[in-house]
Amino acid sequence: MWQFVARSLDASTIFTLAGLGELVDQRSGILNVGLEGIMLFGATLGFIATKVTGNYLIGFAVALLIGALLGLMHGFFSITLGVDQVVSGMGIWILGFGLTTYIGNPYTGPLGLERIPTVGGVSPFFYLGVVLVLLSWFILFKTSFGLQLRSVGENPSVAEVSGINVKRTRYLAVTFGGMMSGFAGAVYALYYNPVWNYNFLMGWGFISLALVFFSMWNPLILFGGSLLFGLLWQLSLNPQLFLPGLMSRYLWRTVPFVITILVLVLISTKWFRTRWGAAKPEALGVPYVK
Amino acid sequence: MRIGRYRLKLEKRVTLPGWQAALISSFAILVALLLFSVIFLLAHIDPLVAYKEIFSYAFTNRYGVLLTINRFIFLLLATFAFIIPAKAGLWNIGMSGQLYVGALAAFAVVYAFGGKESISAPLNPWIVLPLMVLAAFLGGALMGALAGYLKGKFDVNEIVLTMLLNFIAFWVVAHMIKEGGPFMNPQGRGESFALPKSLHAPLIFGVPFTIVLALGFAVILEFVFRKTTLGYQIRAFGQSPPAARYAGIRPFRIALLVFFLGGAMAGLAGYHYFGAVPGVYKIARTYGYFGDLSFYGIICGLISLNDPIAAIPVALLFGGLSIGGRFVQGKLHMGFGLDYALLGVLMITLVAFQFFYWNKITLVRVQEES
Repeated sequence: MWQFVARSLDASTIFTLAGLGELVDQRSGILNVGLEGIMLFGATLGFIATKVTGNYLIGFAVALLIGALLGLMHGFFSITLGVDQVVSGMGIWILGFGLTTYIGNPYTGPLGLERIPTVGGVSPFFYLGVVLVLLSWFILFKTSFGLQLRSVGENPSVAEVSGINVKRTRYLAVTFGGMMSGFAGAVYALYYNPVWNYNFLMGWGFISLALVFFSMWNPLILFGGSLLFGLLWQLSLNPQLFLPGLMSRYLWRTVPFVITILVLVLISTKWFRTRWGAAKPEALGVPYVK
Repeated sequence: MRIGRYRLKLEKRVTLPGWQAALISSFAILVALLLFSVIFLLAHIDPLVAYKEIFSYAFTNRYGVLLTINRFIFLLLATFAFIIPAKAGLWNIGMSGQLYVGALAAFAVVYAFGGKESISAPLNPWIVLPLMVLAAFLGGALMGALAGYLKGKFDVNEIVLTMLLNFIAFWVVAHMIKEGGPFMNPQGRGESFALPKSLHAPLIFGVPFTIVLALGFAVILEFVFRKTTLGYQIRAFGQSPPAARYAGIRPFRIALLVFFLGGAMAGLAGYHYFGAVPGVYKIARTYGYFGDLSFYGIICGLISLNDPIAAIPVALLFGGLSIGGRFVQGKLHMGFGLDYALLGVLMITLVAFQFFYWNKITLVRVQEES
């Protein structure tokens, strides 16, 4: 039982890390729908780097770097060139999915290294995730930098007038967002399930994206959502633990997605929007032109 | 930026004439192929040789051309699945889920007629084949309409929504064809039962009849978008939802309709690939690859600027590239996934080129100050 809970916490870590990056990204007004692509890149290149060098640290460093670069690329397209953010995000997702399929294929199979040690049965990344959640909550809501970041996402022209460099703030946010997605991918491929396979993420990135919408753009709620979905995901993988024989194991895999859709619908209802909708960054997805 | 006595000036485009769009798109594809040469160079292969192999296999080899045309039909239908909602400003990236459901619906018809039992089951193709096509159309359409309903009714983010539906459909297919699922192949193997020989789609010069459907829909869609009130309403909604609402166009109806039709196109693509392509005639164990391949439809749609007729040459080119890519991958001993890598590079190049669709760079002579 504890093993199941620990495994759920490990799964939730991946949602937390990817979602946190996207949350900061969106707080600055930039939507990146391509985080699954960045995660695939971080996971694949991190996996290859670790497999080749036998060193976990190098793998994580590579994942952070590629994540940051892809975040920067999204920034370049959507901030500097003013391309539709959805188009750019889709581009990054398909680039990630397409290229990593080719790059990773020769490395198909298990990592074959000693597992990363756990702390109390849970990966050290879980604790790191908790620290990062608290830290980003503090920075977003209790520091002047956080206020600047949020104001850029709410009303960039007003922020600019009050002396904030909108472009630089947004670039910072997308780069951070990319790094976190790359990191989340690496945690998946180097710790959670250290086996490379064709298009192995199967929706982790998209669920993380949905979690950001659920979170009211608040890291603490995001963390709660991640815990719930980590549990749900683990349950869908091991239904025999609780409800044996109810559905085939394949149908169980649809459950996290069905529940995500139900929650998406709930938060999209008028009732919910009028009550809680104000949290959404006003300028989300809108290119800023001086 | 100044170059000698000239200055580069950046302007927003108001309109984009068709020939300019075609020029920019062609240039984008060329740049992507140039970028992709790096992949060949990294594998120590001369890109010119590789491209020559790709194009000659895809467009001149007897077997290659047939494969290209089959893939072209698939991609064109997947492109329509993207284009129809895109005209209304909505993103359908659920083509893979919609095509899975379309394929399942088509196979359900065969299952209902008892076609699972034997490959030589004597079923009347004049009755069953049209039903299969209809079922695929409706199956895909209903899957699409589900997204359209939720989008129209609650304004759920359709990107996340259609993607989540893809994963649901993916696992439902696995349930149906694997480990004792109703459509499981009697010999196991994790694939669906094979279609009876009597239900193999009729061929026109070796090409499945679905090509008539795909090309027919290109003409119909072009007509609908250009000449009918409905097409006008969809485009108006895509340009400006508030203005369209003011003009009495109901957003809910538009969202439901475009996703219904888009899904239907993807459903037909599902029938085409699993039910009509010679040599397949079953839902293969690797159905996920074909689902992912349908994302080429997004790129075709973006490159052809959502024009159903312009999508024809683009889908043909990409069909050929992906078949040729698969071919050189084997011939030149490259890794699996070359066609997916090309998909990625094309997509990201196209994103960069979006800039040129919406901005114009002109040289302006600087007035001498005297």
